Amino acid sequence: MRRDAFQAIADPTRREIIALLSKEALNLNTVAENFEISRPAISKHIKMLTECGLVEIEKRGRERYCTAKLEPLNEVAHWVQQYRRFWEGKFDAMENYISKLQAKDQKNPQ
Amino acid sequence: MSTENKTSANPVIVERTIDAPVEIVWQAITDKDRMKEWYFNLEDFRPEVGFEFRFPGQGRKGESYLHICKVTEVIPLRKLTYSWNYQGYEGMSKVTFELTEESNRTKLKLTHQGLETFPKHPDFSPESFMEGWTGLIGTSLKNYLEK
Repeated sequence: MRRDAFQAIADPTRREIIALLSKEALNLNTVAENFEISRPAISKHIKMLTECGLVEIEKRGRERYCTAKLEPLNEVAHWVQQYRRFWEGKFDAMENYISKLQAKDQKNPQ
Repeated sequence: MSTENKTSANPVIVERTIDAPVEIVWQAITDKDRMKEWYFNLEDFRPEVGFEFRFPGQGRKGESYLHICKVTEVIPLRKLTYSWNYQGYEGMSKVTFELTEESNRTKLKLTHQGLETFPKHPDFSPESFMEGWTGLIGTSLKNYLEK
């Protein structure tokens, strides 16, 4: 299974965890308290997020603090942007083509 | 949550208003002889549910990516949807064209969903297809129109 930003954001709970942590670092228990699903389930999600590079865990005394690392999300934005540019380019070409077609029709009315 | 649009898998949506009636724009996206002037050169295209078509794209290193598409929805002059996948690669996406006429102009909305399911390595990028195709289209379009 892939371990990248795309994989990370595919799940809605993980998206919520990232949103939560992007505001402040929280210890694992506090994160779990924000959700109705079980603690082990939250731990699994956080594990996936660390494997995907979006969350880092550091030990502070006996607690484990989770920090969001948002840089990998730029990868998602950049990659999706490429498709946007691709389509914008195609539609530029379509508009050009159509306006030339219509200019031709005006020159040679049928 | 304010980070929602950064983290959720959003589709690409492109909207344009084209200075032409809806019939012209519909033809541009469904008539293969017109499609080849700005889009892709297809052997055949029919706006019919179930119609399958394929066309090549070239990656950055000259390798070939075959697009495999199948029409899934047609409302003549209003909507056209097809699946858009790559042969030999994981992932499935869907492209939808929606047309609305407004006083002899056409609002065109393109939605491309499912992009997050495709492989992400740099060679596999629509940008590399674009380099190949916009060059081709730019030159051949120019030649065609200036005859």
